[in-house]
Amino acid sequence: MRLYEYIVRRSVLLIFVLFGVSLITFYLSRGIPSAFNPCAPYINPKMTPSVIHGICAAHGFYQPLYLQYFYWLHDIFTGSWGNTGTWASGQPVIQVFSQRFPFTVELALSAVVVTVVVGVPLGIVSAVRNNRPVDHAARIVALTGISTPVYWFGFILQLIFFYYFLQWGLPNLPNQGAVSIGSATITTYSGMPILDGLLNANWGYAWDAFLHVILPAITLAFASLGALTRLVRASMLEVLRQDYITLARSKGLSERVVIFRHALRNALIPALTVAGLLFAGLLGGAVITETVFNWPGVGILSVTAVTQGDSNFVILYTLITALIIVVANLLVDVLYAVVDPRIRY
Amino acid sequence: MTEKQPPVDKEPPTRSGQRAAYMDEVKYSLSLLTKNKLVLGGIIISAFFIIISIFSNVIVNPASAYNTINYHNAYCWNGNLPSWGTQATTCPASLNYPLGSDGFGRNLLNMIILAIPLDLSIALEIVASALAIGIILGAVAAYAGGWVDEVILRVTDIFFAFPFLVLALVFAAVLGRTIPNLELAILLVWWPVYVRLIRGQMLSEKNKAYVEALKALGVSRWRTLFLHLIPNSIYPLLVQATLDIGGVILTFSALVFLGFSPSAALPELGNLAVDGIGQIFTAPWLIVIAGLVILFISLGFNLVGDGLRDVLDPRLRR
Repeated sequence: MRLYEYIVRRSVLLIFVLFGVSLITFYLSRGIPSAFNPCAPYINPKMTPSVIHGICAAHGFYQPLYLQYFYWLHDIFTGSWGNTGTWASGQPVIQVFSQRFPFTVELALSAVVVTVVVGVPLGIVSAVRNNRPVDHAARIVALTGISTPVYWFGFILQLIFFYYFLQWGLPNLPNQGAVSIGSATITTYSGMPILDGLLNANWGYAWDAFLHVILPAITLAFASLGALTRLVRASMLEVLRQDYITLARSKGLSERVVIFRHALRNALIPALTVAGLLFAGLLGGAVITETVFNWPGVGILSVTAVTQGDSNFVILYTLITALIIVVANLLVDVLYAVVDPRIRY
Repeated sequence: MTEKQPPVDKEPPTRSGQRAAYMDEVKYSLSLLTKNKLVLGGIIISAFFIIISIFSNVIVNPASAYNTINYHNAYCWNGNLPSWGTQATTCPASLNYPLGSDGFGRNLLNMIILAIPLDLSIALEIVASALAIGIILGAVAAYAGGWVDEVILRVTDIFFAFPFLVLALVFAAVLGRTIPNLELAILLVWWPVYVRLIRGQMLSEKNKAYVEALKALGVSRWRTLFLHLIPNSIYPLLVQATLDIGGVILTFSALVFLGFSPSAALPELGNLAVDGIGQIFTAPWLIVIAGLVILFISLGFNLVGDGLRDVLDPRLRR
């Protein structure tokens, strides 16, 4: 099979997967009215029951479920994604999503940076000093990250760096939101506070936004640290066993050169592709962190949407997140195939 | 280094010889496991929590454990005279309440001891069910092949594409907030991993010579599947299951944190920790201690699973 055939085959599967995702989300959010009332964004409590009935009927919510699905599919492709929220704030769901999404991107990007900056060296040290105390310490750190309840870690960071630092009269870090300076003078380019601050040359704003992202990014990164460290360690151990490393050593090259020039480059390929997957995963996985830090992203909104039965937002959120995850997987697989000629499909 | 090398089977493959070789292999694996201090630590931690959960009703009397703080302790009695009018239910550690009290004024230590068996059994139930589903679907997919394989794989693809936690949340919202429903919600998002794992294992296993031999001997397909193929491909799943015990407890407590607690008074570790969030700046021990217990349980099983994975991975087994 050629590369492009493989890509075509995978893309067809991608459509199939998204179709399946949409079926499940649609059924869960429309098929069980006791959990999600699809009509909620269009009505308000002051309406009489007959008016409510009329509005719900006009939106097709009393039709058979399979018909509703086709209407909904039609709406998806024509771009009318419906309204979000309860009657009080019936904004178009796509507008709300696109306003909030950059915040989640900023948080996920920062977390990936922290994960890579900490995780890669940890994995290298762990492999180079295999089965020595440093290795054990690095593995304990990584496993602790996997074993820690994310919300708990977030609150502990808040307790220390927000509350106790305040008590001790130290400069403390903010624990809520993405930025606390008014954004009236800021022109929105990307929607991400740090980037917008920099683009506006408003250093104070950018610094404030940076301070806000520190604790959430560490919280999010700590949980994903383990996977990356483990991967770097395993691939580094694998590389260090290769003949060309023995050759490099026997040529009399210093250990530093062997590790950083020869081994690291080859060991990092899988790690960096995983960092890409990690980013995609974090976009959909920042739910808890966003809730803990009141971060104005899409994750916290999705939780509110689920608890309030806001089906339109839940559907949009899962569809877009699923699309990102599936496309990221495809890209990584293709990238692997391009980088490593040994891989055949 | 006088490390014991993995045994090389030179004898003719008699039944007793095979058995001896197998036992050598097991002994070698065990020696690898216990040689690793991290795994040993993990085994000790996990065993500690398992023992506590078995004897929890002996250590704590469930009949009186739910009692709230009585009059003398109502003022966080620490041997000093209480300051009148500052009645609090959440008290810091004292002699009677070694870890302080929880948000309901109950002895936090007792609550944690009662919560550990509940959390462990929740995790065990979910992991065991997911394992069963995974083994059946994965084995069928690999053994049947063709369109059956394709359909099962695509369904797991769909589940992998979902944002995991949000899907669990939606299931929980649809099903309702009771412990069995939350378990079901987690199970519904958890099983696809096992299907993939056992399918991959079985695919490499079913092309081996012994399967051909069984076929030639006239052994039935089902017998081959259940008595030979599945037992031979199950080890990586057991590693994953060990690692997942912690993961399930974390997920359960995440659902509780996101507002799906079955009942605020339920002695469940996630519940106790979440209960402390509202008082984090006034009574930090609540969330700190309950969260630490979750961390240690999870870490214990993760250490064991991580070590098992190394032992079973032939590339790292040197």
